[in-house]
Amino acid sequence: MAEIGHGGKEIVERILEPTEAAEKIKGLTAIPIRSQIANEVIDLAYGFFTPLEGFMGKEDLDSVCKKMRLADGTIWSIPILFDLSEQEIADYGIKVGDTVLLTYQNNPMAIFEISEIYDYDKRAMCQAVFGTDEEKHPGCARTYAYKDKFLAGKITLVNRPKINPPFDPYFLPPLEMRRKFKEKGWVRIVAHQTRNVPHTGHEWLMKGAWFQTYAELPIEKPLVGVLVNAIIGEKRKGDYIDEAIILCQDQLRKSGYFGDHNHLTSLTFWDMRYAGPREAVFHAILRTNLGLTHHMYGRDHAGVGTYYGPYDAHRLLATVQDEINITPVYSMNWLYCPHCAEITSEGLCNHRDEWQKFSGTVIRSIVQDGVKPPRLIFRPEVFDLVMECAEKYGFGSPFVTDEYLEKRTPVFTIPPLSA
Amino acid sequence: MIEEEAMAEEKYPINIWVNEERFEKLQKAGLADMCEEMLAGLKVIRVYCNEAQKDKILKTFPTAKFDSATTKSIELLPREVKDKIFDKIVEKQSIDIMDDFLSQY
Repeated sequence: MAEIGHGGKEIVERILEPTEAAEKIKGLTAIPIRSQIANEVIDLAYGFFTPLEGFMGKEDLDSVCKKMRLADGTIWSIPILFDLSEQEIADYGIKVGDTVLLTYQNNPMAIFEISEIYDYDKRAMCQAVFGTDEEKHPGCARTYAYKDKFLAGKITLVNRPKINPPFDPYFLPPLEMRRKFKEKGWVRIVAHQTRNVPHTGHEWLMKGAWFQTYAELPIEKPLVGVLVNAIIGEKRKGDYIDEAIILCQDQLRKSGYFGDHNHLTSLTFWDMRYAGPREAVFHAILRTNLGLTHHMYGRDHAGVGTYYGPYDAHRLLATVQDEINITPVYSMNWLYCPHCAEITSEGLCNHRDEWQKFSGTVIRSIVQDGVKPPRLIFRPEVFDLVMECAEKYGFGSPFVTDEYLEKRTPVFTIPPLSA
Repeated sequence: MIEEEAMAEEKYPINIWVNEERFEKLQKAGLADMCEEMLAGLKVIRVYCNEAQKDKILKTFPTAKFDSATTKSIELLPREVKDKIFDKIVEKQSIDIMDDFLSQY
């Protein structure tokens, strides 16, 4: 039976088998790509970006900017673009109608059928997508860094990425993810978007969302799961290392704070744009394609600095609710109340003068100071694993350093094509 | 005076989380009761900065972050910087040390 994704379109993997791939790439001009584009090639080929089959053309881009829709009217909030300079286009001798080979890590990755070459006003794009054209906004900075020409066209993977340990069990593309949900018997699944090692505030966000999602369903057997979907993309110094994020999220299940019956950890390759409300809509699309029915949104989802109000994303989602096939679950903050002596929700507890709020940043600060946080705040199994990851993967630090950026094992590798 | 109080400047804490090594130093200096308890049993000394001091810290130490969304505190100062702030607290036996500390930078 066909799996239907965002926009009512069937999810189709655009991936060639090795023998056919080897034949198809013969004689094609090879164009090396950077990590952002490689991530998006994977997302396009495996159906994470359904209904997109390739990089956007000008009509789609213009419509996304001005109406938050593809040209055919389907809701879409973030441009998915392939950029080259005019000089590169000339040097490669590329023209509309050509098919080229995209390479990554010096190996063949995907076929790109070029249907259009165009330019677009980047400042206008920033204003439309991010609500600002300030260069200090990380999404704007990424947009301004695009070269001057955009190329549109379909993508077909010729070489599956090899997901390197310890990430390999966590890469579950849409069709595989949907099979997994069926095996588990879950009828509702709520997404937890993360780029963090979990503290108990995060844990209770998930638990709260699980209760909200369960709602009126019968409780005789487990019907609802939380899917942790970690975003793996460009790292900044001081972030938690990717290995610590993914393994510690899963540790909550392994240590019994959740179980196999209600919790699954996974990853998606994506370089965050920090587009706040528009990124919230994008995450809804992404997780719809993964087969989720519900999506958690807290305050200032995918925001940065003070560009967006805490509930702007919720308001934008409400305007498209009828056209996205996922239900938003809005989460209030969880905090520590010394009077209750427990983690509680700001929507429940009324000891307001006693509340002690904490954040991922505060936990990082505590860990940096060489202090082991109490188990009510940070689970000891998670703390121990953070420290283990620091030694095993982080060159002594659980946080991204120059050395980590230089020497880490990539999350995925494109191997030589084996025909 | 009343007007001045009404316009009292907001204060932003730096949380110096007290690990065993720091607690030992405090005990030796007879300052153990300087610690507050937070977050289900963590010992902490909170040093407060005014707006100008906060700005100077964020500029001087680029890894530092002002947690504007949740705690309104200055976090992620490098451990060695926090050690220096801590040592200054022990030396002066006071948490009112930020001007003195920042004068080195």
